[in-house]
Amino acid sequence: MTLPDYRFISAPLWLVTILHLLTLTLHLAAMSCLLGGTLIALWAGVRKQWSAPDAAGLARVLPAATAATVSLGVAPLLFLQLVYPRQVYAATIVSGWFWLAVIGAVIMAYYAFYRTSFQAHRTGQVSLGLLALAALGLLYTSLVYSSVFALAEQPDLLRALYAKDQSGWVWNPALGAYGLRWLHVVLGALTVGGFFVSVLGRKSPAMAATGRAAFVGGMAAAAAMGFLYLVSLDTYLGPYMRTPAMPVLLLALALALAALHLHSRKRFGLSGLCLFLSLLGMVYLRHVLRLVRLRGSFDLAAWRIAPQWSPFLLFLVCFILMLVVLVWMARLFFRSEPDA
Amino acid sequence: MHYPFWDQPIGYGVLMAVIAVFHVFVSHFAIGGGLYLVVNEHLARRDGDTARLAFLEKLSKFFAMVTLVAGALTGVGIWFVIGLLAPAATEALIHNYVWGWATEWTFFVVEIAAAMLYFYGWKRVTAKAHLTLGWIYFVAAWLSLVVINGILTFMLTPGRWLVTGDFWQGFFNPTYWPSLVLRTGVCVMLAGLYALLVASRLAAGDFKARTVRQAAGWAVVGLAVTALAQAWYWKAIPAEVTARALETMPTSVRAIVLSLWLAAALGAVGVALVILAPRRFGTAAALAFMALGMAWFGAFEWSRESLRKPYILTGYMYGNGAEVALTAAYRRDGFLPQITFRTGDDGADLFRHACRSCHTLDGYKALRPGLAGADRAYLLALVQGAHLLRGNMPPFLGTPREAGLIADHLYQRTDHRPLGAIYQVEGLALGRRAYDLRCGKCHAVGTASDKAKSLAGQSAEDLSGMLDMASSLGEGMPAYTGDAAERKALVAYLQTLGQGGKP
Ligand code: HEC
Ligand code: HEC
Repeated sequence: MTLPDYRFISAPLWLVTILHLLTLTLHLAAMSCLLGGTLIALWAGVRKQWSAPDAAGLARVLPAATAATVSLGVAPLLFLQLVYPRQVYAATIVSGWFWLAVIGAVIMAYYAFYRTSFQAHRTGQVSLGLLALAALGLLYTSLVYSSVFALAEQPDLLRALYAKDQSGWVWNPALGAYGLRWLHVVLGALTVGGFFVSVLGRKSPAMAATGRAAFVGGMAAAAAMGFLYLVSLDTYLGPYMRTPAMPVLLLALALALAALHLHSRKRFGLSGLCLFLSLLGMVYLRHVLRLVRLRGSFDLAAWRIAPQWSPFLLFLVCFILMLVVLVWMARLFFRSEPDA
Repeated sequence: MHYPFWDQPIGYGVLMAVIAVFHVFVSHFAIGGGLYLVVNEHLARRDGDTARLAFLEKLSKFFAMVTLVAGALTGVGIWFVIGLLAPAATEALIHNYVWGWATEWTFFVVEIAAAMLYFYGWKRVTAKAHLTLGWIYFVAAWLSLVVINGILTFMLTPGRWLVTGDFWQGFFNPTYWPSLVLRTGVCVMLAGLYALLVASRLAAGDFKARTVRQAAGWAVVGLAVTALAQAWYWKAIPAEVTARALETMPTSVRAIVLSLWLAAALGAVGVALVILAPRRFGTAAALAFMALGMAWFGAFEWSRESLRKPYILTGYMYGNGAEVALTAAYRRDGFLPQITFRTGDDGADLFRHACRSCHTLDGYKALRPGLAGADRAYLLALVQGAHLLRGNMPPFLGTPREAGLIADHLYQRTDHRPLGAIYQVEGLALGRRAYDLRCGKCHAVGTASDKAKSLAGQSAEDLSGMLDMASSLGEGMPAYTGDAAERKALVAYLQTLGQGGKP
């Protein structure tokens, strides 16, 4: 009896890639609102820039932002593991304890957000200590993600590290490969978080001002960091340039600038759309870079494709249904008036 | 084998259990609790029962914290852990079921969003809108069970999938429906048990009596559904799987079955008492029922996991990640060519990939203590006869040379003084130790391979003669390689075996 072979992908690669990049962008957008929003709230809190109700208003949406970040993160992780299992599992195993601690860090952040939000609801005050704790949890998580996923793109280093230490206490030592990348992501989060705060607090001059400052400043800093990272790619830079990366990069930058411009005109909806598309472009750039770095050890085209159309269709229907229900519930919630 | 091995001291079973047990309770509670909340909100609103509405609102706060934070994150936690502990099996599952998981994810997102809006919506939205949100929450949560149940049951009973590789045949496998009913029953039961706990702390009075009685009703109904589905489930598992389990793990399986019925009976009696005397129902009793319910469900999950041994995906992949389809390649070329992450110590690498996912040396399922006193030849026999030992282990599929490397690895790490010196024993006590080391691992007393009967009544000479020709008694039966003192003690002990171990 020949057993079924599991080494296949159950949909055309382009389809999986689109879903992967799209859900990852959604996750990063939520994550950026969360991480950026938290950092900005801390900053404003320390400098006593906001009124108590302003701070409480932001604190009260952070639990929902956490829920969104976590639940939107599941899908891209699934697609990542589908296409790059050899790289991703290997890297997570070598850094096993650090990777697992992410769960603890996120639970800690989540509870801290909830406590802050309940406290804000009861007393009108926001506890900076709790917010700092949550920020720490999120920063740890983002750093682990950057370091582990960078390790996943360095198969030789991975092998060498494992040969020396199998305990799961290995931290990716190639800081050059992910330090700048991580800073770029955090600054990007600050940018998106700035946008988020400025829109959320558009009725409060103080909040809108802080948000705008983070939006503009964050974008400039993120762009600078991104440029440095690009230069640091070194031997990969040449091959990278020969991919469609450059035009996409220019487009993403243009979209980011358009977002800034529209934001200053108070066209928040359009500005947000441009920002999201710009983020999508960055996610695509990141995807291409991964393939460039993995050249020689991994080729997407090597996957056997054996579509499972009926389960895929089921997913598609449920996915659309999910979007419809989400929108419908939000309308129900925000438009409904309580009974007298 | 094509992954690095996470060599951590805690033991895979423990780590998995810690997260899985917690998640399993929370996730089932999240479904049942959702149903409990909306059904009761519906009744309370219909009757204009403000006391109950206030009770439900309080309940929903705890509920939201548990499901949104603990439920969602331990779910992600399991995902992380299985990727670390069983990457090959996770990979195989994802490739076959990615669209199942993706579909489950859509329900998960709706579930989380609905839970949030429901929780924040008590004072914000109309009664009708609030109830709608509650129902959306429950339906989405239950649908995520409908999907994940297909993948979970697939692991134990892949059914025709093994032949066809068809998504749906693996999904709607032989245990799909009984398991779905069973888990739904568990959801309802846990919701009832939890509501009982909250209600037990209410001030005595009519409201308390009503709430306790009703929550008890939930627990009883859930319990009854679960108990019936359990029997159905057991029947749905292919007979060869249950027969093998009964044969090789008779005590644990029988204990589970017994404990299940016991818990069912106890639960039913206890809950009946609650129905008769709800006013005085106290927190201690509520906690006891909760513990009982959890123990029962925990035992079920544990038995499901044990039944699957030696596989992680029945008929497809062994617990250590060895793939059934590669058996011939392993036998011919060994494990080493498949182990792509090497450390330079082949014995250690082989031990990790063949044995270490189930064993540690000193902690969980420790090997070092039980192997003390063994010589290298005997260790080699144990490695090559792993599938004959108690515990329903996978066979060692590598080459003889590789078995030797694992034996060396173990030999360098175990105590090989004589048993008498290790344990400071002599006489029958020494014989017993010798039996445990050299016979009991395969012929555990009370199992199908117990040899007590066929040894009964033999003389010392006969028994000693049998030990001389031990290796010819059956395929996989090792030669006797212990020293003379142990041999004498073992023979004396064997003579007592026919009499139940007494001299
Ligand atoms: C799929 C999981 C699994 C794998 C893989 C596995 N074992 Fe086991 N092993 C068990 C279980 C379960 C038991 C029963 C232990 C118990 O009841 O405490 C057991 C028992 C044993 C025992 C008897 C322990 C004693 O002291 O009585 C030995 C020896 C042993 N295993 C050696 C090995 C070796 C060597 C390997 C690798 C070739 C291996 N095992 C691989 C699960 C496994
Ligand atoms: C590695 C596993 C293993 C160990 C250890 C082991 N045996 Fe066996 N034994 C077997 C197998 C396999 C058979 C053949 C199948 C059967 O009869 O169950 C067997 C057969 C036998 C038989 C013949 C069965 C019969 O009914 O005629 C006897 C007697 C026996 N073993 C006694 C012992 C004694 C005594 C020891 C300890 C010195 C021992 N075995 C250790 C695996 C083992």
